[in-house]
Amino acid sequence: MITLEILSIGLIISACLALFLDEVVYSVAALAGTFLFTALLYYVNGAFYAAIFQFVIGVGTLAILFLSGEMLSDKSTRKTSPKKLSALIGAGVVLSLPAIFLSISSSTGVYSDTSFGDALWNLSGVDVILQALVILTVALGIAIILYEQKKGGK
Amino acid sequence: MDFVILSIVMMAIGIYGLLTNRQLLKVFISIELIATAATLNFVMLASSTGQGLGQAFLILAFSTDTAVSGVVLALLVIVTKKYGTSNINEILKMQEKSDIEAEQ
Repeated sequence: MITLEILSIGLIISACLALFLDEVVYSVAALAGTFLFTALLYYVNGAFYAAIFQFVIGVGTLAILFLSGEMLSDKSTRKTSPKKLSALIGAGVVLSLPAIFLSISSSTGVYSDTSFGDALWNLSGVDVILQALVILTVALGIAIILYEQKKGGK
Repeated sequence: MDFVILSIVMMAIGIYGLLTNRQLLKVFISIELIATAATLNFVMLASSTGQGLGQAFLILAFSTDTAVSGVVLALLVIVTKKYGTSNINEILKMQEKSDIEAEQ
């Protein structure tokens, strides 16, 4: 299917641009492209819930990244030259070619009809543990920030 | 079309960016790309065999990934405000300088 090839080329190009553009804000915009192409790849392959979650999480992450990118970037950063931009796009196209023309996956996968809801229900134990981990990480992060602020205030 | 190779290429780009970029925000973007490559591989292999398990795991992975991202970004803002720059080399130089001054 030609759509998958176009999406994978777009994915690799936007990943290259996200990492190697000089301006941070443009890098974040390219990362938005990466998340969008990933969500579209999921959608085309029938993973609808994964596509929706990728899109939603991507939007949230990007909003924070745009804000911190504006706050933290040096204003004196030089602009990316058109030569570098075209080189990055060319590199992205070349790097996506192996994924289009080569294959290393075996076709011995066992087809299963486990629905998304059943799988999520079976994983509820793991979910509880992971949620606890999330809360612990957030609490730790807040504690570190408050400690640093207290230390800086002294 | 092979998604395993696609995710390997994406992970390689992320690791290359992680090793070569000196800006803290770019390092964070590299880590995001590596995480996306890992989940892409997982979801594609699971959806090709009709298993909902891959998508369920993706949602759990996202919840932890987002929490970690929030903490990393907060630390990043603190470091940048403290040293006045987001360049890793300059931060290391400043840290060495302050260590030498503390020893004297």
